[in-house]
Amino acid sequence: MKPRIAITLLLVLMAATAFAQSDAQKSFDNLKALAGEWEGAVTADPPTDMVPAGTRAHVTMRVTSRGNALVHEMQAPGTPLDPTKYDHPVTMIYTDGDHLNLVHYCDAGNRPHMLARKSADGKTVEFDFADLSGGNDYGHMYHAVFTTIDANHHTEDWTYMMPGDKPMHARMDLRRVN
Amino acid sequence: MDREWNDNQPIYRQLRDRVVAMILDGVLKEGDPLPSVRVVAAEYRVNPLTVLKGYQQLVDEQLVESRRGRGMFINEGARSLLLQGERQKFLTEEWPRVHATIARLGLKAEELLDGGSKAKPASSTPSTNNPGEEPKS
Repeated sequence: MKPRIAITLLLVLMAATAFAQSDAQKSFDNLKALAGEWEGAVTADPPTDMVPAGTRAHVTMRVTSRGNALVHEMQAPGTPLDPTKYDHPVTMIYTDGDHLNLVHYCDAGNRPHMLARKSADGKTVEFDFADLSGGNDYGHMYHAVFTTIDANHHTEDWTYMMPGDKPMHARMDLRRVN
Repeated sequence: MDREWNDNQPIYRQLRDRVVAMILDGVLKEGDPLPSVRVVAAEYRVNPLTVLKGYQQLVDEQLVESRRGRGMFINEGARSLLLQGERQKFLTEEWPRVHATIARLGLKAEELLDGGSKAKPASSTPSTNNPGEEPKS
């Protein structure tokens, strides 16, 4: 009886692991399908007069390292792609085992690492803060959600934890431009 | 405002510092509107989320306020608040070092006042260089 229980448990664990791996990979594949140039409206949540209608952002996403990583860059529309001079925070997304990881390389000099939750369909991928390398004098990125609407439309929600642990939330409603 | 950014601090913090300097220098007066995130992002080619962070920092410090449907404005009392903070910073962070140097060199009050009156006025923010100055507002 005992060996049978052990085998059953082992099979259940193997199935769970296989599901987790495919879940992370499915989410990653969905995010990789967003490779391209995107532009769209930026809004704050809750809405604030700081961000009037017409505020826009440009996002570039590209698959690199033979498909093993996705590079995400944010910038002001019309800015030359020169990260050494302009404000282009970079985010790298990659799988590690059965986890989908996100590392944001902030101009605050730190690198918050986030882990994706399991996503039922991979269309909404939500990353929770896991750990931080680099200092925390100026706050750090804390949370991110990518929601695919269709091949030419997705939204990104970014939460930055300001000094004093005050969250600041912004949403980008992005349309494919290339 | 200068379009160049240094590598010592994140851009949002430099943006905050520039607004603070403009308030202390009287370039931005209490009640003056701030340009929107959209305008600053476009003019200074900065990611809008970065500008938002800088403005949020100013809101958190109670230096600017949002007026519904009208935008962002410099708060009444912002300059006094800043001067208070800068004075405190000078007294706790800089003055002990200066005081130790004065004691080490055996300088007298008359010599310091005489030397101070001959010194060129600094061009940076008045808060740090003229800690005794009263708020104008």
